[in-house]
Amino acid sequence: MFRTKKKNGDIELHGDIWKHIQPGEVVLDAQGITKRYPGGVLANDHIDFKIKAGEIHAILGENGAGKTTLMSILFGLLQPDEGEIYVRGLKVRFRSPEDAIKMGIGMVHQHRKLVPAHTVLENILLGHPKSRGVLKLKEVEDEVMALAERYGFEIDPRARVWQLTEGEKQVAEIVKALYRGAKILILDEPTSALTPLETDRLLESIETMTQDALGVVPFITHKLPVVLSISEKVTILRKGRVVDRLNTAETTEQILAQRMVGRPVIFNLQKQPIEPGEPVIQVEELSAKNNKGVMALNKVSFTVREGEILGVAGVAGNGQHELAETLFGLREAKGGRILFRGQDITQASVLDRWKLGMGYTPSERTEVGSIPDFSLVENVTMNYYFDNRYNHRGFLDYGGLRKLTEQVIDEFDVATPGPDVPIRTLSGGNLQKVILGRVLSRHPKLVIANLPAQGLDVGATEFVQRKLLEARSQKAAVILISEDLDEVLSLSDWIAPMYEGEIVDMIPAEKAQKDTIGAMIAGLHQERGS
Amino acid sequence: MLPFLIRSLEAAMIFTFAGLGELVDQRSGILNVGLEGIMLFGATLGFIAAKTTGNYFIGFMVGLGIGAALGLLHGFFSISLGVDQVVSGMGIWIFGFGMTTYIGNPYTGPLGLDKLPTILGVSPFFYLAVIMVVLVWFVLSKTGLGLQIRSVGERPSVAQVSGISVTRIRYMSVIFGGMMSGFAGAVYALYYNPVWNYNFLMGWGFISLALVFFSMWNPYILFGGAVLFGLLWQLALNPQMFFPGLASRYIWRMVPFIMTILVLVLISSKWFRSRWGATKPEALGQPYHKE
Repeated sequence: MFRTKKKNGDIELHGDIWKHIQPGEVVLDAQGITKRYPGGVLANDHIDFKIKAGEIHAILGENGAGKTTLMSILFGLLQPDEGEIYVRGLKVRFRSPEDAIKMGIGMVHQHRKLVPAHTVLENILLGHPKSRGVLKLKEVEDEVMALAERYGFEIDPRARVWQLTEGEKQVAEIVKALYRGAKILILDEPTSALTPLETDRLLESIETMTQDALGVVPFITHKLPVVLSISEKVTILRKGRVVDRLNTAETTEQILAQRMVGRPVIFNLQKQPIEPGEPVIQVEELSAKNNKGVMALNKVSFTVREGEILGVAGVAGNGQHELAETLFGLREAKGGRILFRGQDITQASVLDRWKLGMGYTPSERTEVGSIPDFSLVENVTMNYYFDNRYNHRGFLDYGGLRKLTEQVIDEFDVATPGPDVPIRTLSGGNLQKVILGRVLSRHPKLVIANLPAQGLDVGATEFVQRKLLEARSQKAAVILISEDLDEVLSLSDWIAPMYEGEIVDMIPAEKAQKDTIGAMIAGLHQERGS
Repeated sequence: MLPFLIRSLEAAMIFTFAGLGELVDQRSGILNVGLEGIMLFGATLGFIAAKTTGNYFIGFMVGLGIGAALGLLHGFFSISLGVDQVVSGMGIWIFGFGMTTYIGNPYTGPLGLDKLPTILGVSPFFYLAVIMVVLVWFVLSKTGLGLQIRSVGERPSVAQVSGISVTRIRYMSVIFGGMMSGFAGAVYALYYNPVWNYNFLMGWGFISLALVFFSMWNPYILFGGAVLFGLLWQLALNPQMFFPGLASRYIWRMVPFIMTILVLVLISSKWFRSRWGATKPEALGQPYHKE
C-alpha cells in the first residue's frame, strides 16, 4: 500500500540539469523504444526520436500507430520493454509522471487533466513543490501571471475550471506545465478543440517558447495543415514504427497523409452536383436550454432539403450539441417548432422520429452511441428493434439482424473479428463506422451527424465523410455538426456558423470563406461592421 | 434550561468529531457508511479499557486506536481491493453492532469512575471540537495537503498525473476518519453517557453521517448542523418540555434525518447546481484504479 519511492542517482540530479542550455543541443533522445502489450501487439517497435532545444518536432500518426504509447512512455505513464531515454545526455528511467516532470518534461493532455471544481491556480499548484505546507496563493498567482504574460496567454487564475472554454483549459494546462519547470513540452492534439483564432495565438506562444530554448513536441492525428504550419520537423509513425522523418519545409499535406496512412488519400472529396429537392426539415425559431439550465439555443431557424448537407460550424459549447439533441427529441424545445416533411414533430418522441425516417449519430460514441459490453449485433439492433422487418410482434429476428450487421461490417469496412464480439473491443474509427452504418443502412430521409469525424484518423475521417456524401447523393438531407472548418467547407452545401446559441449567418458553399467563418464562430462578426 | 443547552452542545461535540472525520474521508473520495460501527467499537472498547484500568486516558487511546484500525480495514477493502464502499461500510456497521454487543455484555452497567471535569460548565471536549473544526477547515482550504485531499476526491486521475499518490492520500484520510469516529465513540461512552448497555449509541453514527451530507462538505456548516442536531436530539428526549403533547420522542428523532434529506434534495436540484456548481466530491464512492 504505502510504496515508498526509492530514488536512484540519476533522478536526484535534476536540480542543475537544465543549466546553460544551448539552442540546437539535443535535449531528449529516445533510442529503440519498444513496447509490447499482452497478446503480443507491438505498439512501439524500436522507435528512435530526438528533439533539440528550441525545436518544434511533430509526431504524426493514425489512431493505433503507437503515438499514445510513445507519449505515455515519454511522460512516465508506461514503462518501455526495451530502449533508453536520455535527457541532456543523462540516462533516465521514468517510473511515474512525477519522475518525468522532475526531469523537465511537461505534458498537455487532449483529455484535460484538470479538476473542474478547483480554481485555475489550485490546479496549477497541484503537485507543485510550492504546494507544501500552507499555500502561498498570492505569490504563486503573481508568478503565474508573469509567466502567462511572457508567452502571451490570457488566463484568469481565480476562475473555476468548469467555467472555462476548452481553449482556456488548454492554456491552463500549458501554464501549469511551464510553471512546473517544463523544458520539453508534449502537446497531445493541441489544436483539436481550438478556433482558428485560438490556434493562431497558440502558434505565436509556441514561437516564444522556442526562443526560450524549450523543445516542443506536438502529437497529431489529423489536421495536417497544423503540422505544416507549427513544426520544423516531423516524425511519422505507422503500425508502431517510424516510417519517415521529414523537414516540414520540404513536404506537403499530400505526402504526409500518404506516408501516414500508407496509401494515397483523397483530400478534396468529389461532391456531385445535385439538384436539391423538397424541404425535409424546417426549423423555426427553435430554442432550448443546456444542462446547466441556461438558454443555449436561441431562436434558430433553417431549412434543409433533399440532397443537401447543412454544415453547422462552431466551437464546442455554442449550442450545436443542444441543437442536435433538440432536433432528435433528446432535449425539450423551449420555443419554436420543427417541421419534418411538413409535419410538426416538435413534441414527437424519439421513437416516432426514428420511424418517420430521421437518424442520429451521437458525438458521445461510448456513452450515447453504443453500449460497450453489447455485441455489434445488439448495438445495431438498437436502431432496428422497432422495425417491423426485424420485430415480429415483440419477437426479435436475431438471424436477420445478424445478417444485417454483417452487411454493415462489409459495406462500412469495419475491422472486427466478427459481429458477436462486444463493441468495446473496436477502435474509435471502427466504432464510428458501425454507428454511422446502422443509421445509413436504414436509408433515412434526414441524418443528424454530431461530430462524425471528431478524433478519427485521416483514413477513417475520409471514409465517414465519403459515406455522408453518398447519403446526400441518395437524396438524404444531412445536418453535419462539426468543429472542423475544413470538414464543413468541403462537405456542405450550406454553412451555418454558430456562436452563443445563434446561427450567425446562412452561407451557401460557393460564397463561403474560411477566415470569415472563423471570425463568425469566434464571435467577431459584429465588430467587422455589419 | 441551561442544562438543556449544555447537553445539546455536548451532543454536538460528539457529532462534530465523527462528522469531521467522515468529512475529510469523503473529501478524499471515500464514503464510509460504517461510522456507527466504528463509534460502537470506540465506545465499547474504550469503556471496557477505562473501566478495567481505572484510567480515562487509556480509554480514549483505545478508542482512537480501534478507530484507526477499522478505518484502515475500510481502506483496505475500498482502496486496495476496490470493493463497493457502501457494502464495506455496511459490513463494518453490522460487524461492530454484533461484536460490541457480544464483548460488552459482561460490562453492562455504569463506568464507576469520577466524572471528568468541565470548563465553564461544558466539557473540554467541546472546545477541542471547535478547534478541530477550524483546523480541518484550514488544512482543507489553505494547505497543500488539503488541496491534495480535495483533488483526490474530485479527479483522482488528475492527482495521479500531477505526481500525487491517490492511494496514500486516501489511506491517510480514511484512517483519520476512523480515528475521529472511534474517539467520538469513546467520548460518548466515557463522558456523555457512561453506562454501557446494548446498542446504547442509538444511531448517533448515522446522525453524524447524515450531518456530512447536510454540511455540503463544509466544516463550519457541519459544526452549525451539529449544534442544530444536538438541540433536536435533546428536544426529542423530552418534547413535552417545549411542545406539550406534540408527537412522541421517536417522531422527533427523525427530524435530523428529514432535514438532511431536504438539504440533499436542495443541493441536487438544478437550480442549486446552476447557481453554486456541484458541491459533492465528484469521485465520492468510486474506487480508483491506476491506468
